[in-house]
Amino acid sequence: MELAAQQIVNGLSAGMAYALVALGLTLIFGVLHVINFAHGEFYMLGGLAAVVAVRILGLPYLLVLPLVPLVLALVGLLVERLSVGPLLPRRDGLSDALLATYAVSLLLADGVLALRGPAPERIDGLEGSLQLGSIIIGHQRLFVFVVGLLGIAALDYMLRRTRFGKQMRAVAQNRFAAQVVGIDVKAMGQRTFMLGAAIAGLAGALLVPISQFTPLMGHNVVIKAFVVVVIGGMGSVAGAVVCGLALGVLEALLGLMLPEGFTTALVYSLLLLTLLLRPQGLFGKVAR
Amino acid sequence: MTHDRSLQYLGLALVASVAVAALLSSPVYAGLLVYAAVLGLFALSVNLVFGTLGYVTFGQAAFLGLGAYTAGLLATRWGLNFWWVLPLSILPGVLLGVLVGLVSVRLGGAYFAIASLTVAEILRLLAGNWVDLTRGPLGVVVMPPPLPGQGWHGIGQQPGYLGLALVLCAVAVFVLHRLSRSPVGRAWAAIRQSLPLAESLGIATLRYRVGNLALSGGLAALAGALLVPKILVLTPDLFGPAYSATGLLAVILGGRGTLIGPLIGGAIFAVLPEWLRFLGDLRLAVFALLLLLVVRLLPGGLASLLKRRPSAQGTPLAATPGIVAPAGLADAPPRPATRGALLVEAQGISKSFRGLQALANVDVRVHAGEVVGLIGPNGAGKTTCLNVLSGFTLPDSGTVSLAGTATSGLPAHAMAQRGMVRTFQQTTLFDEISVRENVLIATHLAAGESALAAVLHTSGFRLREAQRAARAEVVLGLVGLAARAHVAAGSLSYGEQRMLAIALALASGPRLLLLDEPAAGLNHTEATALAALISRLRADGLGILIIDHNLKMIMALCDQVVVLHHGEKLAEGTPQAVRSNPEVIAAYMGGMTVDAAHA
Repeated sequence: MELAAQQIVNGLSAGMAYALVALGLTLIFGVLHVINFAHGEFYMLGGLAAVVAVRILGLPYLLVLPLVPLVLALVGLLVERLSVGPLLPRRDGLSDALLATYAVSLLLADGVLALRGPAPERIDGLEGSLQLGSIIIGHQRLFVFVVGLLGIAALDYMLRRTRFGKQMRAVAQNRFAAQVVGIDVKAMGQRTFMLGAAIAGLAGALLVPISQFTPLMGHNVVIKAFVVVVIGGMGSVAGAVVCGLALGVLEALLGLMLPEGFTTALVYSLLLLTLLLRPQGLFGKVAR
Repeated sequence: MTHDRSLQYLGLALVASVAVAALLSSPVYAGLLVYAAVLGLFALSVNLVFGTLGYVTFGQAAFLGLGAYTAGLLATRWGLNFWWVLPLSILPGVLLGVLVGLVSVRLGGAYFAIASLTVAEILRLLAGNWVDLTRGPLGVVVMPPPLPGQGWHGIGQQPGYLGLALVLCAVAVFVLHRLSRSPVGRAWAAIRQSLPLAESLGIATLRYRVGNLALSGGLAALAGALLVPKILVLTPDLFGPAYSATGLLAVILGGRGTLIGPLIGGAIFAVLPEWLRFLGDLRLAVFALLLLLVVRLLPGGLASLLKRRPSAQGTPLAATPGIVAPAGLADAPPRPATRGALLVEAQGISKSFRGLQALANVDVRVHAGEVVGLIGPNGAGKTTCLNVLSGFTLPDSGTVSLAGTATSGLPAHAMAQRGMVRTFQQTTLFDEISVRENVLIATHLAAGESALAAVLHTSGFRLREAQRAARAEVVLGLVGLAARAHVAAGSLSYGEQRMLAIALALASGPRLLLLDEPAAGLNHTEATALAALISRLRADGLGILIIDHNLKMIMALCDQVVVLHHGEKLAEGTPQAVRSNPEVIAAYMGGMTVDAAHA
């Protein structure tokens, strides 16, 4: 029982990473109708940026954390300009954009792998831990959770209240109508991509002190983020957050009973199960 | 037909001559050639899904690995002869293809891409962790016994292996080529270009998509099994992104949607890793960069550099402007019903969208040899009514019966199979291909066809192909497009495109035609030709339901008119009766008479 409670606590921080990565995926899908297969690499690069800044530049972690999303927003802009924006107007634009983001994903993951080697690397986040009865909550895990929640709250405020957020939702609801009322749809696509990349990068930087940096961390996380967006409903923000956290906890609990490889395989197969039984996802609308 | 053969001979001759050259020179080349054939086979399987059907797959290695593990484990665990179990490896690939297809294709390309990647990852994890069966990352060593012909010409161990790989590759090309020129391949092409149109013409799109994935999965699994004698060790990497990406890249670099492209790509990727050895660990990253560059800069691949313009210069059909033997459509099975027979009856159909009542308790009837007009202001529910009738929208309540049989819940293609075919308000055509090929796709329902007959070119198949071609010409003549048969549909004038859309519906051999605003945007001459065509079809015994805003045409043409207003039936009757109905005049025509409204 205590073990389970401990696992739930641990699962929540991993789940926060899934939620944040899935959030970016789902925003990008909502606005551009493209699934960004390179999204996991934004998460990985966020981790890499934190490692480089702390290890090599010697900057303090708490200073690095707000810088990483800025760097990743630029990476996101670059990737959008390179592999999404120019391809979408084509006849097979959507599938070409899928292909191009997939290529970017392999390029980044294998590029970093080849240049850095596969060895994992970790940095120190917040020291110390909190003890509740027999459950130990590392400060960093608490920090991940709190920062993640604050980030989600800020995003939610932005989507509902700011001009940018309203325009974004308008484009997601009806691209054509948004264009008619004068919204620059193309620029919205770019900004959404930057936003998604920044959120994923933040998640990577948050998680690196807990789960170490490896060049393949993006690949592992992105499929779980796919599971999350499919179960949560493609394009649904609330679905991404709730299902992301739930998936992290579920995975941690399954980890008590099964070896890691099987746990992951089981989590992945939830995606297929959802597509088979409730293709619109738990939070999605039936009409598509 | 001759041009079809010549391509096959060319391909076979090419393979044979390269094979001989390689055999005579050195074992290194023989090894490379085997690898090229296996990768070519694998790339063909990717192309079947991606090039032919238009679904991007990031997990084709799932099938490759499954085939390799099946053959390898059967051989090592149960001591069976590898070469005998090789064909068995196809089966799990086919089954997995069906599974992935059922799970994901009805949701569209993005979901399929995700599902394919996920399936490959699941299998990779299982292969890596189910240590009892697969020995995990250590891998299983498989030693296939040598095939006959060992030591022949002194070219390495296995000339039999080389021969088998080349023959299987050639057989795959042959089968895929034959399928592509049959109703099966045309159905796939139709699905790639416009799913709703394919469905409206009676193509059971889900079945064809799943069938495509099953065939592709089987081919990839065969390629995987054939890979085993080259790699000799089964490792979980067989399911990994390196193979998936290589297959995809081979297709895109070679040329998607062609048969020669994947073979070129396969050959390139058999050789390229040797050349790129100096790159070391960066190799996959370089492949990825290459993929990105090709998608950005050369989306048609290498094959697009050497391709002649498609079909634009085929032999033109004999121009038969507008004149056709009256028996033309009547020949075509299943068709004409007795004049006056009830074709479709909708009773009390209702449909609302998020609280908006689009249709409320509407009845519609159409008889053979009758033209029924469905009119009403914008938003009256006309198109929703047509969507419900044709099976594109499920009604909330009410029934639709065709010739007395209830059809509730049947998918759109089943409605077409029962003789009710619709057109779309927005012109919907297969833009990329010629007018004649458009109509040929639409003859899908003309005669039942099996993939096997298409591959074997049985006499029955050839007869039915001739019938389909004849039907296409008849229909093109009927709508006055015979002289335009070899023009790409997308480059027709607007009026011609509208007529072609009707031709597609006609080619599927309907008893009942549902036309959604066929006259919209037509000039006077074109509208007159359309009216003449509709009268002609009525004389042939078709039932026609027509939505249009051209009231003059509707009133002149229709036997019965149904007026919808806010989703309800306001009036029904002969044009004269409707024209003088005070409610219609008040609600629909704003108090003016019809003639004044259109003057």
